[in-house]
Amino acid sequence: MTQKILKTPVESRESYLEIADLSHSFAGTGRDRRILNHVSFTIARGELVCLIGRSGCGKSTILNIVAGFLKPTSGSCLLEGKRVTGPGPDRCVVFQEDALFPWLTVRENIAFGLKSRFMSQKEHFEEVDRFLELVDLHGHGDYLPREISGGMKQRVALARVLIRYPRILLMDEPFGALDAQIRENIQELLVRLWQKSSQTILFVTHDVQEAIALADRVLLLEHNSRQIREELVIQLERPRDRGSEAFQAYCIQLREGL
Amino acid sequence: MKGKDALLALLIPAVALTIWYMVSKTGLIPIYLLPHPGTIFHSGALYIFGKPGQGAFAGRFTNDFAASLERVLLGFSLAATLGIPLGIMSGRITLVNRVLSTTINGLRAVPGICWLPLAMIWFGIGIKTTVFLVAIAAFFPIYLNTLTGARLVGPIYFQAGSMLGISRFRSIFVILIPMAMPNIIAGLRLGMGISWAYLVLGELTGVPDGLGAVIMDARMEGQIDIIIVGILLIALIGRMCDQILFFAMRLCFKSAKRMTR
Repeated sequence: MTQKILKTPVESRESYLEIADLSHSFAGTGRDRRILNHVSFTIARGELVCLIGRSGCGKSTILNIVAGFLKPTSGSCLLEGKRVTGPGPDRCVVFQEDALFPWLTVRENIAFGLKSRFMSQKEHFEEVDRFLELVDLHGHGDYLPREISGGMKQRVALARVLIRYPRILLMDEPFGALDAQIRENIQELLVRLWQKSSQTILFVTHDVQEAIALADRVLLLEHNSRQIREELVIQLERPRDRGSEAFQAYCIQLREGL
Repeated sequence: MKGKDALLALLIPAVALTIWYMVSKTGLIPIYLLPHPGTIFHSGALYIFGKPGQGAFAGRFTNDFAASLERVLLGFSLAATLGIPLGIMSGRITLVNRVLSTTINGLRAVPGICWLPLAMIWFGIGIKTTVFLVAIAAFFPIYLNTLTGARLVGPIYFQAGSMLGISRFRSIFVILIPMAMPNIIAGLRLGMGISWAYLVLGELTGVPDGLGAVIMDARMEGQIDIIIVGILLIALIGRMCDQILFFAMRLCFKSAKRMTR
């Protein structure tokens, strides 16, 4: 497996995803509730960025805007220079909750978004097989979602979006509901996949350890100002050792920021 | 159904039959109120398998059954054709629901029997009146259950569909209907059940054939055994229609097969 060492420093990155001056308010009782307050950041191609913040700070709102599920009150979101106007297969989401289609098997769920128009049946089958294998679910293709564990469900959710080769993968606290051990395994799987594919990923989490285990760079969304005030570049080699002093030092630093 | 399940399903009919048999033996109830089970069995056999001429009702069954089945299926299909699309639209589109819900819930409060005089004036005595009654009765459970099913589909499934490149229109068929399938099936089964009830109502009005007509004719002629035969046959056929409907849905739709049991 190739080892990815440190990424290029912040200044020289060209922006792939560009969030500029994003504000969002929800209509509330009496007065509008401001969720985002002039948020700006960029992500480079192939970068794995974690967006961290306390619950209710608006991190999922950012993700929903990038996904196109939500229109921001003001500001813009550009992917490769093109403005995001609605949902599309170039920006796929792995949701926090189980969003697999319950009447479809694992295999059918993964194949759901696959355009088979330009593929023979055999190629179609092989492509689904390849992604089954990619998320270590070989041999589980014929199970229904209700018959598999939470961790497996999220791996299916990952495979069904990766098969669309999105420009950016959006992950909304996808491992939040899993046990610690399973969570670590699936985090490692994600990092391995990312290293192989150099997929651009925006990963939303509230878990400090998770952010440091995964990210090239962590963006801190501050609860009070509703802005990104700080970012932390994680200069640790992969695979990362959670027990190491350097790892713990990052954890402390990030916790202070929160 | 497996062997043991089938035995359990027949438990209550078997017990009822035994009690009936014993009561008949004692002669506590006069036979003009409740005939002996043997009489019922004999009359039933004659009604189903007999040849014309062997008795007033002999051999009528095939004809009656065909007539009733046609009316039920026509009325039920009409109800499903209207109820499912309208239910889906009301469940998903607030405007449609606002327009429809008051009217439909108002009409629903009208007992089915109230439609009978009106239907007879509009359509005369015959198949049209019965089909109309069946359709109007079966519509409400189909519409309401489909509406509930459509409304309950979480937005996350449509988000998942849209990010996977499914158009809004296509998502009706590949996401909405499969997700709502358990409710749609529940509505269809309730609708099918009530169809048989209203069939009899429609046929009580003097049509020459049909299972409801037989019951009414038998009452006129004081043949209580044939009334009971008619009741038992409707129970049996209604149950079979329900099973066939359920089986057919499970055969045709993956979602029905995997989300109902």
